[in-house]
Amino acid sequence: MAVSLRESVQLVSDPRNLDGSVEEVFQTMLGVDCRRDPGPIPQERESVTAVVGFGGLLSGACVFKSGSSTAIKIAAQMTGMEFSEVDDTVKDGIGELCNMLAGTWKGKVPDLAANCGLSVPAVITGRDYHLHVQAPEFKLDHTYRFDGASFGVTIICDGLQ
Amino acid sequence: MHEIRTLIVDDSSVMRKIVERSLRQAGLDPLVVYEAGNGAEGLDMLKSKDVDLILSDINMPSMDGLEFLRQIRAQKLAPGIPVVMITTESSEEHVKQAILAGARGYIRKPFTAEQVKERVLPLVNAA
Repeated sequence: MAVSLRESVQLVSDPRNLDGSVEEVFQTMLGVDCRRDPGPIPQERESVTAVVGFGGLLSGACVFKSGSSTAIKIAAQMTGMEFSEVDDTVKDGIGELCNMLAGTWKGKVPDLAANCGLSVPAVITGRDYHLHVQAPEFKLDHTYRFDGASFGVTIICDGLQ
Repeated sequence: MHEIRTLIVDDSSVMRKIVERSLRQAGLDPLVVYEAGNGAEGLDMLKSKDVDLILSDINMPSMDGLEFLRQIRAQKLAPGIPVVMITTESSEEHVKQAILAGARGYIRKPFTAEQVKERVLPLVNAA
């Protein structure tokens, strides 16, 4: 029988799955408590965005976005190294973090874990850019906070089989 | 104690460092680490280096981890050397595919050093 997620939209889009995934990845890989924050991400001149695409039963993307200082803080915590700017290692670390967030999130729904693939991460840095998605099936857009730093994670689903 | 020569295959240099750190925290010492950024580089490395343990990601450009595993067997490289997959892909189907391709262990990202110890040390001790 063909697997379908059409009947499970509420389960797939449950915001607790995203919160749990972010908490798990940050606790395991960075050793920090990370919690959902009602406020917006503080604006910085430079920002870092990582995108991991979903393909298969669900098409869309997991997007991580933060200011450069938060990206540097995360990469330092992950690697035990010090960084003064968003270099290739910081971008690599943020891409890998986004990959783990996407993998952990899809792993919360067994049919999604088995029938949805992940792309390799893409990382974008710069100023004054916006991510626009036309009429997604659903979208989760949360801000999180750890050790005084904030970042956003967005799950965009633009197709569900 | 002799050195544990380990090949870590992952397209993320940060993740290779994290895996190396976890192996050291797990007590694998002295440890000699060789790094490769994808399966093709990993195969090249195995043609010139003897290793005691291989840890590989699955999702990688150029040659993914499952194809890397199949090629290790097809080219008879590193015979009898345990391969452990470390990946974000955690479904039963992915685990099954990896085991069928020859993996001896499977660790899901994110992981703790304790999990690395539990899955990797018995393989190294048995070799």
